[in-house]
Amino acid sequence: MLKQNRAELDYQDLVRKARRLQPGVGQKLKIALLADVSTQHLVPVLRALFASNGIDAHIYEAGFDTVQLEAFNPASGLYSFEPQLVVILQSVTKLRGLYCESGDRAGFSRAQVDAIEGVWQAIQSHLAVPIIQSTFVIPYERAHGHFGAKVPGTLPGAISEINRDLCERAQRHASVFICDIDYVAAWAGRRHFFDERLWALAKSMCSLELLPDVAQSIVDIAMASLGRGIKCVVLDLDNTLWGGVIGDDGLDGIGLGDLDEGGAFRFFQLFLRSLWERGILLTVCSKNTESTARRVFQEHPAMVLREEHIAMFVANWEDKATNIRRIREKLNIGFDSMVFLDDNPFERNLVRQLVPEILVPDLPEDPGLYVRAVCELNLFESAGASALDSQRTAMYQTAEKRESEKQHFGDLNSYLQSLGTVAELRRFEPPGLSRIAQLIQRSNQFNLTTRRYSQSQCEALMNDASCHPFSITVRDRFGDFGLIAVIVLKHPAQTLEIDTFLMSCRVLQRGVEQHAMNHIVEYARANNFTTVAGRYIPSAKNSMVKEFFAQFGFERGADEGAAGTEWRLDVSTYVAREVFINLETKP
Amino acid sequence: MTHEEAHQRLTAVFRDIFDNPSLEIADSTTADDIDDWDSVNHITLIAAVESEFKIKLSTRDVKNLANVGDFLKLIESKAA
Repeated sequence: MLKQNRAELDYQDLVRKARRLQPGVGQKLKIALLADVSTQHLVPVLRALFASNGIDAHIYEAGFDTVQLEAFNPASGLYSFEPQLVVILQSVTKLRGLYCESGDRAGFSRAQVDAIEGVWQAIQSHLAVPIIQSTFVIPYERAHGHFGAKVPGTLPGAISEINRDLCERAQRHASVFICDIDYVAAWAGRRHFFDERLWALAKSMCSLELLPDVAQSIVDIAMASLGRGIKCVVLDLDNTLWGGVIGDDGLDGIGLGDLDEGGAFRFFQLFLRSLWERGILLTVCSKNTESTARRVFQEHPAMVLREEHIAMFVANWEDKATNIRRIREKLNIGFDSMVFLDDNPFERNLVRQLVPEILVPDLPEDPGLYVRAVCELNLFESAGASALDSQRTAMYQTAEKRESEKQHFGDLNSYLQSLGTVAELRRFEPPGLSRIAQLIQRSNQFNLTTRRYSQSQCEALMNDASCHPFSITVRDRFGDFGLIAVIVLKHPAQTLEIDTFLMSCRVLQRGVEQHAMNHIVEYARANNFTTVAGRYIPSAKNSMVKEFFAQFGFERGADEGAAGTEWRLDVSTYVAREVFINLETKP
Repeated sequence: MTHEEAHQRLTAVFRDIFDNPSLEIADSTTADDIDDWDSVNHITLIAAVESEFKIKLSTRDVKNLANVGDFLKLIESKAA
């Protein structure tokens, strides 16, 4: 992605830069370029732009118009180069002639797309690498003028059809990425994109001025396919999400809505909302009193963004660099996957100085141009879309809410009380068995014995009257944790044995384990056991529970090496632990 | 614009494109005289000349450019 603005896309500057590139600097990436246009002018620009992203691009240029030849010949240069990425650039210029001579206009688009898909399949049968396929720029000439839009069988119509079909086919190929050159051309204007003279002289797909835009698109897609990309937007509030300063102007005074500048901020928020929908985490970093700032999200009728869209809300009077570090830590992502958007040049520079890894683009003075500025940088290229994307915010958000409540309550107990935790204990039952087996397979850290029972073994335990196997499900007022703990008690003789005790680390320190132990002792008493025996079997990952039984008054037995340590509890001495959990025990 | 001035500015363009700060060009200089003056750099050169002198060359103009002298003649006839 671009770092600042389009000025980075000056063709002559990039050619100069390419000349001065040090070989071997950056991560090596082997790229094969197949095209029915010439690529000589594109290659240096590509190398320079890849270098700006820390990539040392090694580029194989196939001969002019040899896309099929390279793809279908197993002995071609394409395959002996062993690329990590294949780029296919195709121009509408070739299609003009083909369309004119085509005897089957109705089937033309389909035949073209079939041919292209054939190339993908040929490449895929040799290489398991991403393929970037360009769209075609819709030509500007129109035999019918505007009327052509409703005439079947025109060239522009056929090209639109090809583009649409190409994108649809690409959906069936996870490794095929579309590079929408038609969008690039439309953004710049087709009359600027096409350069008939340069086509005549050098078979260049577009003007030299716009070649860097094509190259940058390829770089963006390549980086996204490597897993690089923006995952989180850090947003200022005053004069970034609304006009004016909420602390001074108040709810009625800030600019947001249909009037004047208010529309600009709404437009920006609408765009941010679409990013949220696609799984980008939106966070707030603002110099404000938190309650004042939150009130806008809660009460202002024109706000598009609400608290539910904000994964982390940081509003205080500390410096923004510190706050951004805090956000990064909480979300546990890299600075290089974060972008900071703030109207204030002072804040931008401060963050650039103190957190050099984070991306801080300039925002124009006119808020009406915020969306344009951000789109021009194509910050949000992505390599996949998932229906779960928009749920991610909720996940982080509930974690953040719990965390921030923790800060509000000095006393841990009153915090725990405020969570309104509800725990449900249930003897194993058919609907939960697969989740139980899954948790048994996966839990490593909080797992006393690491006995990996399969689902059918869990079912056997369920039906065994001499066993008391149960699970715990937890929820609180912020969200649902689901089934997070599994405990298996066995009673072959006079002693109640804790065969298995495991828990997801997500619910540590909330009293769930104490709650479980209270239940175990209660069960022991109800069934006339005088002793409960636990065991800690050391594994590579469970040292955190080495002393688990000690806190409940169990007495340590001898160290039996790999078999672990037995711990014994005299039931009569046990005092129920105080927990702040509402019980729903149905064993 | 004098012939001298055009020559100076064109020299600067050539030095930039061919990455050689001491490059000297004369009317008779052709692609054979400059190592990197290939068909690819020729296009880059044309674009740089156009933007330096704010002129637009046609396909035919470009085809007929054999040496530096031709460049200067074109520039002088087109530049205001």
